[in-house]
Amino acid sequence: MLLEARNLTNGYGGAPAIWDVSIDVGEGEIISVIGPNGAGKSTLINTIAGLLRGQTGSLRLGGTELSTVPSHQICNHGIALVPEGRRLFTGMSVEENLEIGCYRSAARRNRDQSLERVYGLFPVLRERRQQLAGTLSGGQQQMVAIARALMTQPRLLLLDEPSLGLAPSIVGDMFRIIRTIQSEGMAILLVEQNVLQAMEIADRAYVLEEGRIVASGLPRELLAQSRIKEAYLGL
Amino acid sequence: MGGSAMPHLSLLEQALLTGVLTGGLYGLLALGLSLSWGLLRLVNLGHFAMALLGAYLTWWLGTSYNVAPWWAGLLVVFVFFFYGVGLHWVFMRFRVTEMASMLITFAFAVIVESTIQTIWTADFRRYETAWGSQSWVVGSLYVPKLNTIAFVVAGALAAATWAWLRYTYAGRALRACAEDPPIATAFGINHRGLSFLLSGLCAAFAGVAGVFIALIATLAPSEIWSWIGVVFAVVIIGGLGNPLGALAGGVLIGVCEAMTMAIVNPSWAPLVSFSVLIALLLFRPRWI
Ligand SMILES: Nc1ncnc2c1ncn2[C@@H]1O[C@H](COP(=O)(O)OP(=O)(O)OP(=O)(O)O)[C@@H](O)[C@H]1O
Ligand SMILES: [Mg+2]
Repeated sequence: MLLEARNLTNGYGGAPAIWDVSIDVGEGEIISVIGPNGAGKSTLINTIAGLLRGQTGSLRLGGTELSTVPSHQICNHGIALVPEGRRLFTGMSVEENLEIGCYRSAARRNRDQSLERVYGLFPVLRERRQQLAGTLSGGQQQMVAIARALMTQPRLLLLDEPSLGLAPSIVGDMFRIIRTIQSEGMAILLVEQNVLQAMEIADRAYVLEEGRIVASGLPRELLAQSRIKEAYLGL
Repeated sequence: MGGSAMPHLSLLEQALLTGVLTGGLYGLLALGLSLSWGLLRLVNLGHFAMALLGAYLTWWLGTSYNVAPWWAGLLVVFVFFFYGVGLHWVFMRFRVTEMASMLITFAFAVIVESTIQTIWTADFRRYETAWGSQSWVVGSLYVPKLNTIAFVVAGALAAATWAWLRYTYAGRALRACAEDPPIATAFGINHRGLSFLLSGLCAAFAGVAGVFIALIATLAPSEIWSWIGVVFAVVIIGGLGNPLGALAGGVLIGVCEAMTMAIVNPSWAPLVSFSVLIALLLFRPRWI
């Protein structure tokens, strides 16, 4: 396994927001985590990204324990985050945002190839590379967020609700891009409320409710369960 | 009489020049304040106190020990850099917020003022040098050499800082941290190390400003407070964390002040900076 999270518990001072969560992501897999608002999806993904510390349990990437790695070195181990709400550096140009992605020294050496690669994936960003990131449309901002994460040359890409706030016509494009990125060999952990599409794209999936994993398995098996069908698809 | 317009015009030209050059000094003082406010989220009122301390040290080394101002300046800038690093260590150690930083550094400025007063008394001090009051004569204009050098240095520092923030990984990382520290951290940026460097640079800039203040202005401990209003206006007009903006803001205020003195009345000059600031805040151009 590439990522092995075991019995993760983490929260914000008071009661934990995730409780005893264990998930695995294998090399080249797309894993989806679905769950309602406030279930703890972002808490889980931010804990893995090192944004939110203080967890108990273990978090290993390729066998290396990450809990003791300082936050600013997590990305050196091959984890890149596309955060909820994108969180671009809005006062900086598109290309400057991408260059923050290759800040770590190992990625800096490959800056030119990485830029070519992400501009190949998102040609519109090449046209807009001098534009301030805050002035782009929502879909383009999401492209910058994904491209910025790819610039770090990660082994595992964490995506927190990439389709949030996008026009329905663009959501399909976003999932196609995720598929393309995976086909180049990257492992992806995807958190989504867009259940059908997240299930369709995933190799395996987890259902997170009130901070706990309540179900996991192959997407079609999960969607076959009447409880999940009812709660997430309204059927 | 047709001829009477000429001296009037050259008086205005001289005022414009004085304003631009004074503005350079304002910009130099504003640079460090703007950077630490915009990029570290710390409002450092101690910046003014350190600039004045730098000025007194330059004057004192020069008049008591015959140290040339450029050597004194180098020493001051070098020592101030490490003071800046130490100051930031204190801010980090006690997790000082933006608001608290203003109060703490205000207290610090008061302490520096009384220290200066204790050591060098409240008397006015003037650093007399053989070349201090020389000017170039260009047409009908007198161009004071020292003020011009101060302006050039201010311009060079502002431009270099701007380029550093824009074209280097460290500079861009600092801007990223100012906007969203956790996300910057997730991309491998170690904010601590960079912020020590920036804080050191800001203090070093206060030292540079101090050297020129020593050579150009008359020193008195209370001078600390006379700059605060003007330089705050300059920093806000220029945009927080924007080095070229700080210089442009300085020139704008400097020119407005000098023109007011020449056309209206010298006693109105102190009102100028705040009037310009209020006008700009009301109309809110995009850069603020
Ligand atoms: N910064 C915070 N401080 C305190 N509590 C928080 C904070 N962020 C989230 N929480 C709480 O933690 C719980 C889990 O939140 P989290 O953001 O992880 O949920 P989520 O599944 O990502 O929800 P959403 O679908 O709305 O993004 C919620 O009850 C939320 O109120
Ligand atoms: Mg969330």
